Amino acid sequence: MEKVMSNKGIIALYVLPSLLLIIAIIYLPIVLTGYYGLMQWDGISPMTFIGLENYSTLLHDEKFWSSVYHSFLFAVLSTVFLSVYMAVALVLSGNIRGANLFRKIYLLPMLLSSVAIAQLWLKIYHPTTGILNDFLTSLGVKETPEWLADPSIVLGALFVPILWQYAGFYILIYYAAFKNIPASLIEAARIDGASPIQIALRIKIPLISEVIKVTIVLAVVGSLKYFDLIYVMTDGGPNGASEVMASYMYHKAFRGFEFGYGSAIGFFLLLICLVATWGIRKLTETKDSIQYS
Amino acid sequence: MKRKMLAACTLILALVLVVTACGSGSNNGKKNSSPSSSDSGASKSSDEKITLKLMHLWPDGSNSAQNKVIKQIIEEYQNANPNVTIKTEVLENEQYKSKLKVLSASNDLPDVGFTWAAGFMEPYVKGNMFTSLDDLLQGDLKDKFVAGTTDGYAFDGKTYGLPVELNIVPVYYNKEIFAQNNLQPPQTLDDLKNIIKTLNDKGVTPITLGAKDAWTASFWYMYLVDRFGGPDLLDKSIASNTFSDPSLIEAAKQAQELVDMKAFVKGFNGLSNDEAKSEFMNGKAAMYAMGTWEVPNYTTNPDVPQEFKDKIGYFKFPTVSGGKGDVSDWVGGVGVGLFVSEKSKYKDEAKKFVSFFVQKWGEHSVTDAGIIPATKVDTTTVKLPQMFIDLLNELNTAKKVTLYADVQMKPVASEEHHNLVQALFGKAVTPEEFAKKQEDVLKAGK
Amino acid sequence: MTTAKMAVSSRTNSTSRSIGGGIVNGILYAVLIIASVVQILPLVWLLFFSLKNNQEVFNLPPFSLPTKLRWENYESVWSQGNISKYFINSVWITVVSVALTILLASFVTFAITRMKWKLRPFVLGLFMVGMMIPVHSTLIPLFNLFQKLHLTDNQASLVLSYTAFNLPITIMILLGFYYALPREVEEAAVMDGCSVNRVFFQIVLPMTASVIVTAAIINMIYNWNEFIFVNTFISSDNLKTLTVGVQNFVGQYTTNWGAIGATLMISILPILLAFFLLSNRIVEGIAAGSVKG
Repeated sequence: MEKVMSNKGIIALYVLPSLLLIIAIIYLPIVLTGYYGLMQWDGISPMTFIGLENYSTLLHDEKFWSSVYHSFLFAVLSTVFLSVYMAVALVLSGNIRGANLFRKIYLLPMLLSSVAIAQLWLKIYHPTTGILNDFLTSLGVKETPEWLADPSIVLGALFVPILWQYAGFYILIYYAAFKNIPASLIEAARIDGASPIQIALRIKIPLISEVIKVTIVLAVVGSLKYFDLIYVMTDGGPNGASEVMASYMYHKAFRGFEFGYGSAIGFFLLLICLVATWGIRKLTETKDSIQYS
Repeated sequence: MKRKMLAACTLILALVLVVTACGSGSNNGKKNSSPSSSDSGASKSSDEKITLKLMHLWPDGSNSAQNKVIKQIIEEYQNANPNVTIKTEVLENEQYKSKLKVLSASNDLPDVGFTWAAGFMEPYVKGNMFTSLDDLLQGDLKDKFVAGTTDGYAFDGKTYGLPVELNIVPVYYNKEIFAQNNLQPPQTLDDLKNIIKTLNDKGVTPITLGAKDAWTASFWYMYLVDRFGGPDLLDKSIASNTFSDPSLIEAAKQAQELVDMKAFVKGFNGLSNDEAKSEFMNGKAAMYAMGTWEVPNYTTNPDVPQEFKDKIGYFKFPTVSGGKGDVSDWVGGVGVGLFVSEKSKYKDEAKKFVSFFVQKWGEHSVTDAGIIPATKVDTTTVKLPQMFIDLLNELNTAKKVTLYADVQMKPVASEEHHNLVQALFGKAVTPEEFAKKQEDVLKAGK
Repeated sequence: MTTAKMAVSSRTNSTSRSIGGGIVNGILYAVLIIASVVQILPLVWLLFFSLKNNQEVFNLPPFSLPTKLRWENYESVWSQGNISKYFINSVWITVVSVALTILLASFVTFAITRMKWKLRPFVLGLFMVGMMIPVHSTLIPLFNLFQKLHLTDNQASLVLSYTAFNLPITIMILLGFYYALPREVEEAAVMDGCSVNRVFFQIVLPMTASVIVTAAIINMIYNWNEFIFVNTFISSDNLKTLTVGVQNFVGQYTTNWGAIGATLMISILPILLAFFLLSNRIVEGIAAGSVKG
């Protein structure tokens, strides 16, 4: 067994093609992004080496930090919502009638492209003809909110469609994970007289802890580098009220002609994601050892 | 085992880096040397098969009129020059800008493309990406352009782009809504304010504005600056990196006063220009300030119902009592212009095509697409809708056309101008803070 | 088969179900139904306004249909431009990339979870970091790379990028399931002298069918909707994909809601169809898996 499963030739055959691919297509850009981050470069003229100056500018860039704050807010919110998705998946996986249909319905928004979702939600949020304000007006609300124009609510208004879009994705993953739990384990617990809630908390959730960890990392990293809907729906506005790290990077690198600075932001974003992932791994380590023993 | 794998990985990584690094070196070398050698050859042997790349920003979907005119011009050119094939790439505005950047960073600009004037193109000119087109301006295209329209594309006395569009910004209004409320087009800002009051009382949106695209709000601010501080104030302020003139602050105050009066459509800071436009096109808003590129929608566009077109008129931005601006001062200027890449293998051919393009565009654009070209138009020979003729006359008699503020500014300052205008109209900053911050970013010189 | 199984389990449940359980179930159903309404309503609205003209969009209630359905919205959108060409490109690029990604990711996940080699954590880490880089900072380096490989304006650049960028998330999704998968069968197979390749292709790969379908759907959605790479690497119009088409079309109809709705509907229909076909496979896969477990 040992011998067969440590056949170097096969390991190389299985791993190297993928490894080469990501080295060329992901690592090369990462390295170059780090490199450009040390340069003053508009993306056109020759670059000049300025060392860590971009990073020291970054540390004092208020707009950058407010975008970091928005991104983290979003990451936290996404993580909190995971528990909701898990609850839904738990219910769905419990042999409930119509689970299959529900699951499909939940995943529907995920099928739409960001362009389509943005168009749709722009119409929902439209201050005068949008369906949301129509609804509020019919309830008798006089001063309906200006969802995407009011700096105090725009961020919340943007999070809703993103959560809406990804809900089905996480529900699907949790659902598949719950369904993969051997039925015998649950049956045994039921015979022992455990209530459904006890079964969920003591058996089902601990058993999929590895999947949960994966989804937390996915949610956090995905939120930290989120770009699409925000870019189309508000472009970070009004006046930066919905700017997140990735959109700020894009604005600097591609609109503002500060490609060096934009790259520094991109590299910093990568570092933040790494630290966040490492932190999540650390925090969840204890459960990890239970799983493998 | 471990060491071997690690060694293998580092080796691969190193290889990839070396290969690409070498690649960049040798490739650039080739690129830079080949144009100069083939340059002279290309123009002599006209039988040689040549492919010119053209990149533009008018997709068939969203800008079909321009798209068709370009296709037609290309066809005519290819028929006249059978050895030349023109390959086009089309991207919508924002994607176009990004790609232009990626291509120039990779030394791979198309032979011919479009650029915005002044601040936008400055990095490209400084980075030696565009070639000077002075020989065309002295030769084939001498005296073809409306005076002053090529200035925005000139740096240190050389011109690097040739404009294809020239626009001014009138305020369009819905005559039917005005008539229903016994309103006349305003002569002064106070008139305008009265109109706004009347319309608001009747529950009609006075002005539609899509300030998510902040340049649209910038029009309003620019006009107020002109009407208070006179025609040269904005140009001078941007050129001298000072933004402290009292008229600049007064204009900002007036802008906020309009916001306070609910002059603009609800939620305007979250609406794109297109969304705002649809309020006007659906007859829900009474006024809309936009460039003359909108005129086809009110005249020739077959997709717009005639009864709507008949309702639309325009007025000049009203003056203010005691202000230094004249009613014939306009906000506007050239739009995109053609460039030829400095690295093009076939620079002479590309220039020849550009010259052809500019001339043909002058003929086709007004009649076929309803676009005002930057070249001189003989209104006596072509049949045009009345609104067009009126606006062309306005253009010819304009006392001053102030180029869009965001185009005048360098890229970073321009981005910040957008943010600040949104903040101003969203009342997130005071007029004083607005001016101060604008000055700071202008001073930074980026 | 699934319905039979559901019936069986609900019968076993019903014996132990109390009146309180009934109420809880009622609440659960209410929550599930409300959630599906929230997920599906915007899409229904989209469908409805794709069948109206502007007058009807603004004057009728949002969830009512006009007496005459305006299918001509669809006709006019479909007859314009290059849609069929874009469509075919989208299909084959998506299919090839998804197949490649799933195969490569399964190889890597198998090697990492089942085979013995020292660099496993390091290589796994390399793949995970790949998730964290913001797409926009890769554009310039990647364009450079493809330029050197003479792959610009070649759809291979898209397949390679999609595969590379989807490998990390795919591996991550597979990982949790591989860890949870019982090893007894494989071990027995190896004892019997089965080669690693046979273990992988004939035992492990079939056992992961359900998660493979999950991962495939997620991959498919990403690839189908991607447009930044298409716009950056591809310049010829006849090599572009459907999202680019949608993007170009939506701009045209800024004032015509019906046409926007029709465009968006056309862009999601194919993926919707693929999803409903594939999604049934998940259920079968999961059911098969749980029977074995």
